[in-house]
Amino acid sequence: MADVFDSYAMAAAWDEMFEAPGRPRTPYRALFAVLQPLSGADLRVRADQLARVFTDRGVTFAYAGEERPFPLDLIPRILDAAEWDQISRGVKQRVLALERFLADIYGPGEVLREGVVPRHLITTSANFHREAWGINPANGVRVHVSGVDLVRDEAGEFRVLEDNLRIPSGVSYVMENRRAMTQTLPGIFAEARVLPVDDYPARLLAALRSAAPEGVADPCVVVLTPGVYNAAYFEHALLARLMGVELVEGRDLVCSGNRVSMRTTQGERPVHVIYRRIDDDFLDPLHFRPDSAIGCPGVVNAARAGHVTLANAIGNGVADDKLLYTYVPDLIRYYLNEDPIFSNVDSYRLDDPDVLAHVLNHLDELVLKPVDGAGGKGIVIGPKATAEELAQLRSTVAADPRQWMAQRPVALSTSPTLIGDQLAPRHIDLRPFAVNDGSDVWVLPGGLTRVALPQGALVVNSSQGGGSKDTWVIAAEEVEVSVPTQALPPAEPPPVSTRDSGPVSAQMAGQQ
Amino acid sequence: MSWRLRIRHVTGFTYDGMAHTSYNEARMTPQSMPGQVTLHSFVDVFPAATTWRYTDYWGTQVTVFDLQRGHDQLRVTATSLVETGLVTYGELPECDWDALRTKRDEFSELVAPTPLTAVSSDIVGEAAHVVAGKSPAAAAVALADWVREHVAYVPGSTGVRTNAQEAWALRKGVCQDIAHLTVGLLRAVGIPARYISGYLYPLADGVVGEVCEGQSHAWVQWWVGDWVGYDPTNGCPADHRHVQVARGRDYADVTPLKGVYNGALSSHLGVTVEITRLA
Repeated sequence: MADVFDSYAMAAAWDEMFEAPGRPRTPYRALFAVLQPLSGADLRVRADQLARVFTDRGVTFAYAGEERPFPLDLIPRILDAAEWDQISRGVKQRVLALERFLADIYGPGEVLREGVVPRHLITTSANFHREAWGINPANGVRVHVSGVDLVRDEAGEFRVLEDNLRIPSGVSYVMENRRAMTQTLPGIFAEARVLPVDDYPARLLAALRSAAPEGVADPCVVVLTPGVYNAAYFEHALLARLMGVELVEGRDLVCSGNRVSMRTTQGERPVHVIYRRIDDDFLDPLHFRPDSAIGCPGVVNAARAGHVTLANAIGNGVADDKLLYTYVPDLIRYYLNEDPIFSNVDSYRLDDPDVLAHVLNHLDELVLKPVDGAGGKGIVIGPKATAEELAQLRSTVAADPRQWMAQRPVALSTSPTLIGDQLAPRHIDLRPFAVNDGSDVWVLPGGLTRVALPQGALVVNSSQGGGSKDTWVIAAEEVEVSVPTQALPPAEPPPVSTRDSGPVSAQMAGQQ
Repeated sequence: MSWRLRIRHVTGFTYDGMAHTSYNEARMTPQSMPGQVTLHSFVDVFPAATTWRYTDYWGTQVTVFDLQRGHDQLRVTATSLVETGLVTYGELPECDWDALRTKRDEFSELVAPTPLTAVSSDIVGEAAHVVAGKSPAAAAVALADWVREHVAYVPGSTGVRTNAQEAWALRKGVCQDIAHLTVGLLRAVGIPARYISGYLYPLADGVVGEVCEGQSHAWVQWWVGDWVGYDPTNGCPADHRHVQVARGRDYADVTPLKGVYNGALSSHLGVTVEITRLA
């Protein structure tokens, strides 16, 4: 029988599965043994089954204006206990340092006075929201949920590519990937002690409840979505359902006297914690875009008054600005007095004219990123860009260098990925999800491994045509693997469809 | 010279029909700071609403309120009792252009242009001769006076959204425009500057106890070793006749009353300010 790995040609980058052709790394040995006897055609059949499961579940995303099933690759990405220990410690460290930084920036500003970070970097950030100054969240947490994107470089070292502290999405894919894999390929889990991912909603709910305003014993938590047209609506609905809380839109909420309630058929019901999946700019027309029809006017001052908690907090974007990223190792030393567990990808700050000149002369060798971009938008990979693209980039960057940062291109590690009925190396990254409940930062074992499906492509975002892989963390030998018992009081089953959509809300108008 | 002033500031909106819900912030409480103490202040809202206060990023007292019932007008009345002119500016520390350059990061948001204060390089070029050869302190006064010389004070000639560049094109404006232009030019030459909103007592030497019709006013402060207040509309230092309410980068940071509402079209009620010298 043909060996499915026979024709697998390793790329120059670090290969996640193989240390040498035909020699799988230790954590992959069991998987290798299961897959080896299969043929490419067998794999194809399984992959098609996976896709059908996804379409059936509605796990889709918008690509080029069209809803498609999110491509899940058959071959999981596996991390052993030691690798996971490093990742989870590194992510915790980063989240804790950035929490301290945000509390400082929206408070005393000592980090600026001491010159660790230049003040102009903060005051010129489009995501520094002065409206958030002086808002002190109930349990001190601003980064309830984060996604720290990691890549593995040529030497196999994990490095941080970027931090996502606003409204990172993708955790629904982690849960759905696992569900689909166990359903379609139960056999491959038999030999592996894979840590479960399905306690994420319970962990998130516990963190949201512990963020409730002081004195609220049994807080009402809601998930605030921009609505069905949002690319991540599936995730908003899934999380609300799995947490047993209401999924609301801005028009379902009403602020009065700095308190927030939700309209229901039984009258208004107080809301204490809003897990909001709406961008800052659209959240409250009183403070941000007055033309936003999806937000809830008054909610920012309700948070300021301490009657409601916004998760994540407003203004977190100042800490995931890609220029601030270059200072995160310094922030870890400054706030935590620890050495950074992760290195950044080597980066260039363009506010120094000499560095700017160097970068402008080497655009074809570098990766240029807009500092406040999300979802891989606007990234130019120099070695893959055309001469016209580079010329265009040169004038854009030269015109407004504050909006850009440059990085050394990293040959992201590769993982065997089913392309047609052949396995081929494709570049991957990893977004672990961290939940901060105020006493601990918990990192969901695994996270979202995104894979760039076109050959050689380095941008893995789903909005740029990427797929994903189930991500396994193998338990250390001694650890008992079982689904943790719920750390929560059993949530009351939410009353179904008692929510009244409210009067058709006309767009708010500004007055001044 | 120290004065005690009572200020009554009324502003608001009327609606062509009914407004249903409304969320607002008023920045109408004079600040307490070196040179000025607010002894008493009260912001009253009609129709009646519960108010709540906080201090914003710029140090301004903000009064927050919302209305949930239908109303055909909204009226906000701020009454304050303020002592002004408590200290006069003494000798300024020496401050040359090099010293200002070392402060650029500390004052980064007060040397950067904003949409309301940005001025073209043409205007800066025209003003270059005013600054040439002067110390920062002298240059700042000269720039403010140069703006006053070229831009006529014409009430009603511009609106609240008019920016510095547009006012320059018109060569006329109100105190807000003259302050935006001055702040924009100061920043363009590297002097940190902020926009001040407040009230001006209209007479040079008012009669104690007599109610005067005052006005909402705007002026500027610049940093040349220390903060200096100057009224470019009137060409004089900010003194005991100036009552400071808020400071920021431009008008957008200090808007006296702003909000969002649901309902019929609104029009501005107009602003009345009464100032009485009590001592």
